[in-house]
Amino acid sequence: MGRLKKFAVLVAVLFCFIGLSFLLGCAGQPTTKTKLIKLPDPAQADPNGKLVFSLLGEVSILNPILSTDTSSSAVEGTIFTGLTRINEKLEVVPDLARSWEVSADGKVWTFYLRQDVKWHDGVPFTADDVVFTFNAILNPKVNSVRRSDYIIDDQPIKFKVLNNFTVQAILPKPFAPFLVRSGISLIPRHLLAGQDINTAKFNRQPVGTGPFKFKEWVTGNQLTVERNNDYYLGRPQLAAIIFKIIPDENSQLVALEAGEIDEAGIPPKDYARLKAMDGLNVFESDNLGYTYLGFNLAQPKFCDKRIRQALAYATDREQLVRIIFKGLASPAYAPSAPISWAYSDEVAKYPYNLQKARELLRVAGAENLEFTILVNQGNKEREKAAVILQQQYKKIGVKVTIRVMEWLALLKIINSPNGPKDFDAILMGWSLGLDPDSYSIWHSSQYPKGFNFINYNNPEADRLLAAGRTTIERSKRQEIYAKLWQTIALDQPYILLWYPKGVVGVRERVGGLSEPGPAGLFLNLQDVFVTK
Amino acid sequence: MIGVSLLSFFVMHLAPGEPTALFTDPNINPADLARIRVNWGLDQPIFVQYFYWLGNVLRGDFGTSYTTGQPVLTEVLQRLPATLLLMIPAYILTFLITVPLGVISAVKKGSWFDNLVTLFSFAGMAMPSFWLGLMLMLLFSVKLGWLPAVGMYDVGAGDWGLGARVFDLLRHMILPLLTMTLLSLAGITRYQRAAMLEVLDQDYIRTARAKGLPERVVIFKHALRNALIPIVTILGLSLPGLFSGAFIIETIFAWPGMGRLGVMAIFQRNYPLIMGIVIFSALLIMLGNLLADIGYALVDPRIRYGKS
Repeated sequence: MGRLKKFAVLVAVLFCFIGLSFLLGCAGQPTTKTKLIKLPDPAQADPNGKLVFSLLGEVSILNPILSTDTSSSAVEGTIFTGLTRINEKLEVVPDLARSWEVSADGKVWTFYLRQDVKWHDGVPFTADDVVFTFNAILNPKVNSVRRSDYIIDDQPIKFKVLNNFTVQAILPKPFAPFLVRSGISLIPRHLLAGQDINTAKFNRQPVGTGPFKFKEWVTGNQLTVERNNDYYLGRPQLAAIIFKIIPDENSQLVALEAGEIDEAGIPPKDYARLKAMDGLNVFESDNLGYTYLGFNLAQPKFCDKRIRQALAYATDREQLVRIIFKGLASPAYAPSAPISWAYSDEVAKYPYNLQKARELLRVAGAENLEFTILVNQGNKEREKAAVILQQQYKKIGVKVTIRVMEWLALLKIINSPNGPKDFDAILMGWSLGLDPDSYSIWHSSQYPKGFNFINYNNPEADRLLAAGRTTIERSKRQEIYAKLWQTIALDQPYILLWYPKGVVGVRERVGGLSEPGPAGLFLNLQDVFVTK
Repeated sequence: MIGVSLLSFFVMHLAPGEPTALFTDPNINPADLARIRVNWGLDQPIFVQYFYWLGNVLRGDFGTSYTTGQPVLTEVLQRLPATLLLMIPAYILTFLITVPLGVISAVKKGSWFDNLVTLFSFAGMAMPSFWLGLMLMLLFSVKLGWLPAVGMYDVGAGDWGLGARVFDLLRHMILPLLTMTLLSLAGITRYQRAAMLEVLDQDYIRTARAKGLPERVVIFKHALRNALIPIVTILGLSLPGLFSGAFIIETIFAWPGMGRLGVMAIFQRNYPLIMGIVIFSALLIMLGNLLADIGYALVDPRIRYGKS
């Protein structure tokens, strides 16, 4: 066979491949049509309906006081409930507690419990279960990362049974974040008392008080929960929920398109295509979190805040958001989140201005600034952002090197017990809790051990952080946090980059969803249904 | 085996990061992480940790996974069948397909068939498995709707009869098996072709032909047996590769196997689980090499075990 013939075959095969990719690609091309959300009619609900969720990570352990991964929490959310829960507006509302009251000094919290609740095995739920759960978390031998949530100034919160359906929490001093923390899911005393909670069999066959009962767990493959007919907020519409573990994002999307799962998160690159897809509703929502470029203030080159402000002026956030997210994120200025009640827009914003940036650098004598941005491997958005920032800062003569590291290796640097830590600047993000308290991120006591790994130290910020967590009244807290965000913005220890948006695709057969938001679409699980 | 465990144990601890580092969350207090590390015994010197681990293993206790609180042995044994269910058929299929393909290509060297096989082999070697897997999923699950895309069972399979469940499992196996086989085919077919070509040039083949033996006998009796010897070696050596390749296939197809468990354990620095998997993989690979050695004895008359 001559060379020419070989070449011809090669070309033919190449064409076959290109043809194949066209066949697969074209039908899925984004179209220009805008598709409205189409929700199914509740009258069509299938009484034997099963909803199929997908999880990116493996489920590790089904015990709400031990688990730390999102997959386990997702499953636990269907099985367990707590004293309080959050609603679509991110407010704390009653759940297993009918109501609660706080003493005038803010130290004694009394919770009045529902009296009509049974564990999935039929045993009534009482105040003993509540106290048992909190004491289990406080037990140092139990591997719960939540223990410090219930310790204030080295003193544990005391939990007391007043009667069968009344519980008291006695705090050593007023502590506002306690309200959100009271919502942790509760575990049954009668099944766990006297056992090693870390390794109990319960953790693989949990019993809770939630709308769904644990049924089956096929490790690594799927997990099934079934309807709890006695759920105190009403009999769920769905007969069962199945959690299918699909560890690859792309495979998850394929499974959603093939109709094998009902819901999946959608990355920005696939947004336009799936938004136009028939049979699928795509919801966008804001998240409680932000991404930032943090400066290591223990490094002499970043000590002068004019240098940080100069970099802030040279940061074109609009461009970042446009290129990386195609609009599925918004530029960030305050270290909070726009959907948080403690958010305030009144902060120094440093609008894009290269001239001011150059001027500030010159005044600070840092025209030849060079630094390295540390970023974790595998997070495509952050890796892209690092490259874009490198280009943006080049315009003011600042030379940036990018250092991509595996996640745990990066954590080793920022978590090192002694300062100064081995990095210049770091591109990271925080997901925030429901309570605006950000003591662990900003307080000077949280360095070098703690999450203030950039060594931010401002007595005014310290004072506001302490006041914020010991003030109970929300309107006063709002003022405190507004001041705090402004104090931080003036110092620019972080350049805030963007607030990410969450995008979720749900098949059109699923109804009974709650308003899109960081708390998810499935807040009222008992109302969720699928059509026949 | 002790060498393997010693080396893995120390290399594992040399890697930066430690198991509780993953919980980096402003809502988690570092003091809690320090306490949990002590509960796990990570505050001990590393050689104390190793001998503690070894002592337990010798008593049949592989420890407890940090993330699940389950015994490591249980975790590994839960996942092992799924991996073997893909690996063994892929292995057998590869052998059954590559040998004839390689032989025919060699015998008909330069023909259109040979060229086609060559092209597909190179394409197969160049194609990343995740890409091929996703393309097959898009074609057979999304476009044609013939086969399920991910997982090992249908979500409703728990309520079905045994027959229906086996059928369901087979349907789910097709795509991952196809991907695995297609990709391992490529290289081994090339080896088989080269081995066969080399043998066909040997003097004894010419002698066999000169004796007037039918071409079929020359190829299958004289040439093939000799050309199989290097292939047995390659198949023995490719077993670990199949193992590591399983991870990508298992991730793409959401197959609940050991490869996925292993990689997750490494990302989480789940030390007891990593060690458990290392020990089991080493055992399997040793078993594979043993099989290859037995294979030699079958195909190579110069090698006979147990007779001096």
